[in-house]
Amino acid sequence: MKLLRVRASGFKNCEANTEIDFVAKSKKTAEDKEYELIQIADDLYVYSTVAFIGKNASGKTTALELLDCCYSILGEFRLENKHYNYDGIHLEIIFYHEGNIYKYVTTLQADSALENRAVFRAQHIYKKKYYRSKLGTIYAAEDFEEVHNSGELPEDTASIFFVLKKKQIVATYFDSTGAGTDTYQRLFKVMKAYKISGDVLANIIRIFDENIETLDRVDDHNFSMRMNGTTRIYSDKELIYLLSSGTTKGILLYTMMTASLQNGFDLLIDEIETHFHKTLVENMINLYKDKKVNRKNATLIFTTHYCEVLDLFNRQDNLWVCRSDGEITIQNIYDTYGLRSGILKSRQFYNNTFQTAVNYEELMNLKRRLMG
Amino acid sequence: MKLLVMCEGANEKALMDILLENHRLSFTEDDLLGLVTYHARQIRSSGVVKAALNMCPEEVKILRIGDTQSEKLFIPMEYRDKIISIEKYCTKPELEMLLIISEGLTEDYEKVKSSVRPKNFAKQNIRLNRKKYDNSTEFYKNYYNDCEKLTDAIREYKRSRGAHQRDELYLADLLVG
Repeated sequence: MKLLRVRASGFKNCEANTEIDFVAKSKKTAEDKEYELIQIADDLYVYSTVAFIGKNASGKTTALELLDCCYSILGEFRLENKHYNYDGIHLEIIFYHEGNIYKYVTTLQADSALENRAVFRAQHIYKKKYYRSKLGTIYAAEDFEEVHNSGELPEDTASIFFVLKKKQIVATYFDSTGAGTDTYQRLFKVMKAYKISGDVLANIIRIFDENIETLDRVDDHNFSMRMNGTTRIYSDKELIYLLSSGTTKGILLYTMMTASLQNGFDLLIDEIETHFHKTLVENMINLYKDKKVNRKNATLIFTTHYCEVLDLFNRQDNLWVCRSDGEITIQNIYDTYGLRSGILKSRQFYNNTFQTAVNYEELMNLKRRLMG
Repeated sequence: MKLLVMCEGANEKALMDILLENHRLSFTEDDLLGLVTYHARQIRSSGVVKAALNMCPEEVKILRIGDTQSEKLFIPMEYRDKIISIEKYCTKPELEMLLIISEGLTEDYEKVKSSVRPKNFAKQNIRLNRKKYDNSTEFYKNYYNDCEKLTDAIREYKRSRGAHQRDELYLADLLVG
C-alpha cells in the first residue's frame, strides 16, 4: 500500500479541498529515478523524500497532521487521540494497493461517548485497475467503480478495512515536542516490534554520544547504561537529565528511521532541524534516497526551516510551501512557482520567492525598542 | 581520502556496481564516499553527492565514469578544497562498445562505424535470451550477470583501442589483478 493523494476539507483551518499529491508530476530524469523517486508500479513513481517549508505558524505541522490522519486510517482503520476536532472533516484518500488504485472517501464525526475516537460517516470505496497507459488520468473519477462491502463494522472503524484487511504501521509521526521521559520506553518498544538489534542501537547511540557504550532496558522506567567504562542503572527521569535532549530525541528518531527503512513504512518528522545537527538531517535524506538502503520503498516526509536542505532536492514537485492567511494553503512548488532550474532553492527562500521570509519590519520594530 | 565515483548514466553505475560487488575493483565499498557509487553528471545538480560531500570530513578524489565525457565537471566553490583530483575513465565512443566486444562483433562494427553509432548497432545485433538490447539497465545487469564476461570485455577494450587522450583512462585501469 502506498499513499498517492489526499484531499481534505474541514481539516483544522486548512482551505477547502486542500490537496497533497505524491505522484511525480514533472519530468523524471534517470538520476531522479535513482534517488528521489520510487517506482511502485510500472511507470508509477512517488517520492522517496518530501519536504514542507514555510514560516512559523504557516501550517507545516497541520500538513503533517493531515497526512498522519490518513495514514492512521489506512494502517489502523481508526482515528484516536488526535489533537484536533474531527467534526465535519471530509477526506478523500487515494492509494495504490496490489495493482489497483483505491479511492476512499468519508466524513468524520466526533462522538463524546467514544472518548477521543472519530466516527466514520458517508463512507465509499472506489477501485480501478492500474494501467500504465492511463497514468495521465490516474485520478479521473469516471474509471473508478464503487466497491460494495457486505459486512458491518463498528462506527469507529473505517470500512477501508475490507480492502486492506490487516492492521499495520504504514507511517509513524514524530512531532517536534518529543516524548520526554517516555522516550526510552518507546525506544525499546520500537526495537522489539521491529526486531532491531542491540548492535544497531549501539551504533546509533555512538553517532550521538561517543561516551555511551551500551543502553539496555531493565524495565519500563529503568535502564542500564555503560558510559566511559562504568555501568549503572538509571531511571528514565535521571537519563533525560544526563543525556542532551538532542541525543535523547535523536536516538529514538534514528531508531524509528531504521525501522521505517527496514520495513518500508513512511516516516513523518515535524521540524527535522530541532532534533539534531544538519549533517544528521542530510544523512537521513541520503539514506531514503539510496535504494541499497531503502529497499522497501519507504518515504521520508518532513517539515523544515533549514532552507539549505532544499538544495539537496533536485526536483520541485516533492516540495510544498505552507502559508497562512486566515486559512492554511499548502502549495506544491512545481505547480505553483515553476522555478527555473539552476538557481539554488535556498537562494529563492532567502529572496522570499515563496513568501516565507520572517517579517523584516517587525524585526526592526523590536530592534528599535531594544535600542531605545 | 575517499573516492567519489560519479557515473554519467544508470548503465555505467550498474556495471561499476557489478564490479564492486564481485570484488573486481582496486578499491572496496569502504573506500567510497558514502559506501556507494553515484549516478551523477555534475555535483551541483546532485543532491545525494552534495550531501555525501558535506558529511565527509576527508579529502576526496573523483573518478568519473562515462563514454566520451566531453562535458567539463564543474566543482562548486565550497568543495574546491576537499576535492583533490579528478580522473576520467572512458568507454569511447559509447558504453555499448563493451557489449559489441563481448559478442565478438568488433570486426563487424568496424566496417560500419563511420555511419552507425555503437548504441544503434547493439540494438540491431545484440540479444539476450531473445530480448533485443534496449539500452536498459536491466539488460546490462542480466547480460553481465557473469562478472568474468564483463572484466574480459573491459580488458579487451583497453587492449584493442588506442583512441584515448592522455587524460582518458580505461576502466581496465580500475580492475584488480
